[in-house]
Amino acid sequence: MKILTRIILPAIVVLLSITFPLFAGPYQQSIAKTIIIYMILALSWNILLKTGQISFGLAGFFGIGAYASVLLSLRLGIPPLLTIIVGGIITAILAAAMGMIILRLRAMYFAITTLALGEIFRVIIHNLPNFAGGAHGLILSSVIFDGNGYFTYWLFLAGAFFSIGLSYFFDKSKFHLALTTIRDNEITAKVRGIDIFKYLLIVFTITAGMQGLAGGLYSQSFGFVTPESSFSGDFILLPIAMALLGGIYTTAGPVVGAIVLGVISEYLKLYIPYGHLVVYGLIIVIVILFMPNGIVGMCSNTFRKVDQFNE
Amino acid sequence: MTKAKRLILLGGIIIFALLIILWRPTILIYGIQRAGLYAAIALPMALVLGIVHIVNLAHGELLMIGAYLTYFVCSTFGMDPLVAMLPVSAVMFLLGMVVYKVTIKHTLKAPELNQLILTFGLAMVFGQSVNLIATSQPRTLSVDYVSTSLTFGKLTFGVYDFIFPVAALIILGGLLFFLRKTRVGKAAQAVGQNPKGAEIVGIDVDKIYLIIFSLSTALVGIMGSLYLTKQSIFPLVGGPYTMKSFALVAMAGIGNLPGVLFASLILGVAETFLLSFKGYGGWSNIVFFAFIIIVILIRSHRGKQI
Repeated sequence: MKILTRIILPAIVVLLSITFPLFAGPYQQSIAKTIIIYMILALSWNILLKTGQISFGLAGFFGIGAYASVLLSLRLGIPPLLTIIVGGIITAILAAAMGMIILRLRAMYFAITTLALGEIFRVIIHNLPNFAGGAHGLILSSVIFDGNGYFTYWLFLAGAFFSIGLSYFFDKSKFHLALTTIRDNEITAKVRGIDIFKYLLIVFTITAGMQGLAGGLYSQSFGFVTPESSFSGDFILLPIAMALLGGIYTTAGPVVGAIVLGVISEYLKLYIPYGHLVVYGLIIVIVILFMPNGIVGMCSNTFRKVDQFNE
Repeated sequence: MTKAKRLILLGGIIIFALLIILWRPTILIYGIQRAGLYAAIALPMALVLGIVHIVNLAHGELLMIGAYLTYFVCSTFGMDPLVAMLPVSAVMFLLGMVVYKVTIKHTLKAPELNQLILTFGLAMVFGQSVNLIATSQPRTLSVDYVSTSLTFGKLTFGVYDFIFPVAALIILGGLLFFLRKTRVGKAAQAVGQNPKGAEIVGIDVDKIYLIIFSLSTALVGIMGSLYLTKQSIFPLVGGPYTMKSFALVAMAGIGNLPGVLFASLILGVAETFLLSFKGYGGWSNIVFFAFIIIVILIRSHRGKQI
């Protein structure tokens, strides 16, 4: 039984996701890529949530990564693949610098300050017409891999695996213990000799780097950035709804949530072209009120009950 | 802060204000008007957040809903927005009650994070519902008296906008009276300090939360009506006001209602100051963030937990 769930099932999922473009059309591939972008954001948000801090800065760092990547290839002519990685690193450095200040805040103060980040970065980009294209944004001369669907999909998939791996690392390493202690009780954590600020800063920097990476992937595959689309509130709303629906504090949760909501959203877009985002808001409200453990939490509860019954 | 430092700071601000008056008096006038708008919107948040400690990220969206309600009331019945304010605030009070009963009530005992995510979700629900019903097309209500102006020598400026500082002063006065003199207000302060203690001495805690939250929604609704008279509205218009209100409440210090007025004055004048430079006006929208950062740095430098 254990072999089935631990090795064979994941192997099948990985194999299916790698061979996906061989049997899926371009439309399905583009859905998969969108899902992966949101999945990376949802995972990164969830990692920081494990420390008890809510960041609404997703869109801000996503946009910074997107802009950094495009600017690097336009201004310095660096190859696109490298710009995505460097863009992620630049975002992480920026986040570290900001984190030095705003991580002195906790809980709601931290959350609302990060909520302002996206807006602030957008305004700054808006007011730099010569350097960053201002309100019109920037357009790349060609998208990554010259638009080859297979390679782009696999690059996105690599990003997804990297993020899942990172999230898994935070679940299983000794980091996990420190983070959970900080979330449960900061004073206990302090007494135990945990340098709270250091841990928070590390996690904040890494998750922002992941968000920047997602931004780079997005901008290089679509070939453009604009202040309105790159810093869009969708990049806050959707990942949060996905992580919550899937189940927070786990790695599987955001992944499941992203896939489920990502597929549903395609239908929603067809039936409610304007205002389909209301559904995500409702999902957030309903999950918080009625099913705080999300889909994954509910499933594992059911399994546990079945196991107990069998015993 | 010592007394001497405080005097120096105050003196500096006064000298700066005098210089601005000599250089461009309109900056101060428009700054005060802008500050009034910010203060009047931030005060209800200061009430909910500062007195009974409910975080509401849907604050700006409630403002937007108030404005839309006013718009529809005015355009269907041909009512004046300043009259429509009364029915709108009543409806907003009811909306506040429903929102509290259905959602916020259930997160009061949960960790603060739940409240944050919940009200974030509510903000999205409100914004997108209005988007569904009224589309994202901007709407304006044209009322002729808003463009009344006054001339002093060479100086001409709009008079109507002074309604915002006046509204802010009235709201502040009303709230202070409510909190200090009425039974419900005093009970609210008790609940804010210690909900369990308040319950033990016989205060109906749930009812107090309900009243305070609904009161703040009604006040924001009134501000929505006023907002509509000067600005065009669209579903996402409220978002920045949530953040600016929060910045102001944080600058003033949680629970300090008169401080909100002072903080708004600084923000309003600073923004108008930037707006007066051609080509740099766009930067005015990040002033509030700069203030948040400065406040954090000052307070953490002094070693206080914020």
